[in-house]
Amino acid sequence: MRYETVIGLEVHVELATNSKIFCSCSAHSYGADPNSHVCPACCGMPGMLPVVNKRVVDFGMKAGMMLGCDINRVTTFDKKSYYYPDLPAAYQTTQWFAPVAVNGLVEIETSKGKKNIRIKQIHMEEDAGKLVHDIREDTTHVDFNRTSVPLIEIVSQPDLSSAEEVEAYLERLKTLLRYARVAECEMAHGTMRCDVNLSVRPEGSDKLGVRAEMKNMNSIEAIKRAIEYETARHIDAIENGTEELRQETRRWDDIKGKSYAMRTKETAGDYRYFPDPNVMPVVIDDEWFNSIKASLPEFPEVKREKYTGEYGLGEYDAEQLTKSIALCDCFEEAYSVCKSAKDAANWMISEVMSILNAKKMTYDMLDISGKALGELIVLVSDGKVGRVNAKKILSAMFDDASIDPAAYAEANGLIVSNDTGLVEEVVKAAIAADPKAVADFKGGKEKALMALFGKCMKQLKGNCDPAVLRTILIDHIQKS
Amino acid sequence: MDRETLRKLEMLNQLSLTEAQKDEVIDFFAKRDSELDIINKIDTENTERMVHVMPVLTVVREDVASQPFSRDDLQKGAPETDEGYWCVPKVME
Repeated sequence: MRYETVIGLEVHVELATNSKIFCSCSAHSYGADPNSHVCPACCGMPGMLPVVNKRVVDFGMKAGMMLGCDINRVTTFDKKSYYYPDLPAAYQTTQWFAPVAVNGLVEIETSKGKKNIRIKQIHMEEDAGKLVHDIREDTTHVDFNRTSVPLIEIVSQPDLSSAEEVEAYLERLKTLLRYARVAECEMAHGTMRCDVNLSVRPEGSDKLGVRAEMKNMNSIEAIKRAIEYETARHIDAIENGTEELRQETRRWDDIKGKSYAMRTKETAGDYRYFPDPNVMPVVIDDEWFNSIKASLPEFPEVKREKYTGEYGLGEYDAEQLTKSIALCDCFEEAYSVCKSAKDAANWMISEVMSILNAKKMTYDMLDISGKALGELIVLVSDGKVGRVNAKKILSAMFDDASIDPAAYAEANGLIVSNDTGLVEEVVKAAIAADPKAVADFKGGKEKALMALFGKCMKQLKGNCDPAVLRTILIDHIQKS
Repeated sequence: MDRETLRKLEMLNQLSLTEAQKDEVIDFFAKRDSELDIINKIDTENTERMVHVMPVLTVVREDVASQPFSRDDLQKGAPETDEGYWCVPKVME
């Protein structure tokens, strides 16, 4: 018999806000002392009332719109009963009855073609704290720094059927959420985590099999391996009766390449959701809704089409530039100033992206001014700054985003000199110092000219129009 | 409410009831059955969902981070702390 795997994903994404979802403690505490970003509200102390962070709702809406969802214009928060010390209130404030976004659609592409994955809902909720079990044997240590850091949970319908589709789906979510600048979505940093719900059924059947859930998966490779392992385990159980399948939560051990039963799966009823009386309904009026809609970015494929069509760039350039919304924004701003898409693209790909790679920064971390980059490109194309010195200026712009390229070039002696007298002096000295190179060039060795050219340019600290230097150099060699 | 349902609720709520308390709870819910029947008969087909008991909306705050509380103050009431952590009875999954 042939079987098909049925997979639904619950993807938790940490939102890129400054503060937590219901209190003003910082949402960024990675590496900080334990409990240094906490207050009575996120510590679950009695009598504390939550106050909703507007940006969390902004980002929830934005994520929903990017994933083709309908936005609930009245969205509410609920309590999910949860007895565990990483959430001190003994419940998680989340959304159950009216989540911020519902009924979305995400298109993915795999080796088998395009496919639509339905999104059931996106809800906003608070993260849990961190438990440390290995400091002492007799007690568990609790750090509430992460408690109440805002998350969205993106719940798909069980429309995925292979590890390849899951990978394509997660990559698509990452791209769209990063484009909207709502989240970092970096699994290695824990800012994107994934619960995989998987069952197996005979191909063509419309009845779902027994479902296993693997929680908190944090790498795409581990997810792919876990899906392959679980699919084989389910088929083996169905065909050979190796075990009785149960609806349960399982833990994936990536080192051993196996999953283990953790506990029988809770049902929604077990969580006893009920409306949180401490958080009033959030009503999204037309003005708020429209302002978020107006702030949405173009999708990557729309940008690619614009770059290859309207801007006349090649497919490769368009592909490189659309790897990140930060690259797109910088490129488009630079282009609007320098008016040459090809120059702007070349500087972005060969210089800006190289510096980011060398600094081990992600493309989304780019924060130089696109306008300044455009001005720098103009300085080069106008012959006012040589390319070598332009690279120095660009490097400085990475250290200080407020640098004005023209002023910086002027202040640091990087403007191309129009003093041909000085160039002639340098050329004469170079010729006198290296008669062999002069003779070689006269004898037809083109490389000898380049050696002299390089020495002169070095002496002039790059502040010379290369064409002017070349002309003067050849002229003096011929006269010598 | 039967004993099996009550056992599950005990587990979910981290409670441990005596046999007498269990009898009391089961008896309480048995008496409420008829009242629940009345509620269940109400036709809510065309009734809009009530989102909150009070007709008020939430206020939202701007996304500005601050840290007005000190850890030492917050941990004054804790039975045990260690190196800045709260300590709780050992839990491991």
